[in-house]
Amino acid sequence: MNILTIPLRNIRRRPSRSLLLLIIFTLGVMSIVALYQVSLVVGHSLEKKLSAFGANIIVSPKTETLSISYGGFHMGNMLYEVQNLSLKDTVQNIRSIGLQDRISVIAPKLVSMTTVADTPVALVGIVWKTERSLKSYWGVDGAFPSSAEQLLVGSKAAGRLGLSPGTSLTIMDHQFTVSGVLYETGNDDDTVILMDLATLQNLTNRPDEVSFIEVAALCSGCPIDDIVGQISKQLPNAEIKALRNVVNQRMASINFVKRLVFAISMVILITAATMVSLSMISAVNERKKDIGLLRSLGYGKTQVFLIFCLEASLIGAAAGLFGYLSGFLVSFKALEFLTLAEAGTPTFSFVHLILTCAIIVLVTILAAAYPSWQGARIEPSEALIAL
Amino acid sequence: MLSACNINKSFHSNGSKNQVLNDISLDIKQGEFLSIVGRSGSGKTTLLNVLSTLVQPDQGKLLYNNDDLTQMSDSKLNRLRQADFSIIFQFHHLLPYLTVLENTLLPFMGSLKPASKKLNEKAMNSLERVGLGKMKHRLPNNLSGGEQQRVAIARALVKSSNVLFADEPTGSLDKGTGEQIMALISELNQDGLTVVMVTHDPDYANLANRTIRLEDGVMI
Repeated sequence: MNILTIPLRNIRRRPSRSLLLLIIFTLGVMSIVALYQVSLVVGHSLEKKLSAFGANIIVSPKTETLSISYGGFHMGNMLYEVQNLSLKDTVQNIRSIGLQDRISVIAPKLVSMTTVADTPVALVGIVWKTERSLKSYWGVDGAFPSSAEQLLVGSKAAGRLGLSPGTSLTIMDHQFTVSGVLYETGNDDDTVILMDLATLQNLTNRPDEVSFIEVAALCSGCPIDDIVGQISKQLPNAEIKALRNVVNQRMASINFVKRLVFAISMVILITAATMVSLSMISAVNERKKDIGLLRSLGYGKTQVFLIFCLEASLIGAAAGLFGYLSGFLVSFKALEFLTLAEAGTPTFSFVHLILTCAIIVLVTILAAAYPSWQGARIEPSEALIAL
Repeated sequence: MLSACNINKSFHSNGSKNQVLNDISLDIKQGEFLSIVGRSGSGKTTLLNVLSTLVQPDQGKLLYNNDDLTQMSDSKLNRLRQADFSIIFQFHHLLPYLTVLENTLLPFMGSLKPASKKLNEKAMNSLERVGLGKMKHRLPNNLSGGEQQRVAIARALVKSSNVLFADEPTGSLDKGTGEQIMALISELNQDGLTVVMVTHDPDYANLANRTIRLEDGVMI
């Protein structure tokens, strides 16, 4: 028997009121937890989907440039000591960073120049599968290549070279067929011929070499700088560049979801806290007699304050526990309802459970603080009127 | 032991001042049984509340073992109410959600530290003394008025306090039960407990060593 006995017994004395308060707060916590779990899955799924719209990190060989000008006439920059990257080593190193689970797509590329019908054109060797998962916006007239002897031609290159689906052409003494022509993308892909990476490596006698690698990283939960830093550490001879505008755009979409969930959670939490506050105001008014008795027995203001706060926090702790567990279960149903069950699974965390209980206890104490203090301030003489 | 010197107390309602206690002075000795009598509205309960520190007087001094209680800090007054003073109200006032034993131990339940075994034994002894040892697990609602008042007395006993203030302790009880309660209070006084009691009943007032009468807030 200690000071906890008083709020515990009082909760038990009014089971319907305590239960109603517990249900209201549990529903609030459940909604917040379910929203949070769904937002995590939605955010992750959204980011994965967004990664299909291009890379956000470029890994290229370190180069030295020399600006060439003479007599005020600028002749551009000259690159020297360019050494291509090793495909196997580079990909292996990227895959071995600490944040490897944040790497969504690795798309290597080898660039080479050739002439087709006396017209110079750039050849870009790619891995079709990874490239297509990075550029889901690609559309083709014809079909995507299905064998090493098939090519995909950018729209501008096709126009300039007079190529169309089904056309045959010779590149570096090898016969190829155009399987499709890319619809205009508005970027460099429009002016090049795309082919299988391994085939181009063989044609140019540069086995295992790539010119650069595009990486799509998932940036929610960790900053892009961390991923770039870890890749740089693994690849000291490569230049790692983060495409910050791409990262920022994606994070803005994901952060919007997070902010929306936060705003809704705050509304729910404030509503539930207001209910607790109102309930405690009525409890204080109902129990003026009790307060008078306790004060006459020598209880101080702090002890009376503590009794009411403990009562609220006991309900808060129970609501935190039940709310987290039910919210976790409800999030599965919510994902099913939103047809997002395939996108991911909510994750149970004891740390989050304890954190949730702690936050809800704190919120209930804050909500109960004012009415509790009002109760504690009641002078014995004032409460004696009720006695 | 407890001295009231020139105590004045008034209440304000609807803009008018109602002088409830007017220049009251009295001394209460250790082990004394003092009864305060008077008609309704004469200021008996207010005087008892002032003496028990539940109400602050507007003017005057209240000395307890030479300490001026009107100048005492809140925390010291709380300690005094907890250790030295016990109060019994007309309507016994037990917390309805605590058992008889818990109500008896209520003065010691103000901290997270659980009540010791010794205190539990003391509470049980107090309950045995008022004849309620077998009812320790009952809730107040399951007791008669007399039994509830006896629990309030047991709560006062467990504190081993110096002074028992009783505000019409038999007011809500039938004659037979009232007599039992008064017999118990007299017994406690004979054991050395100082008793200050407000009553309407001249028979119960006669049990005291001394009786003071109030009329319109003045001691006569």
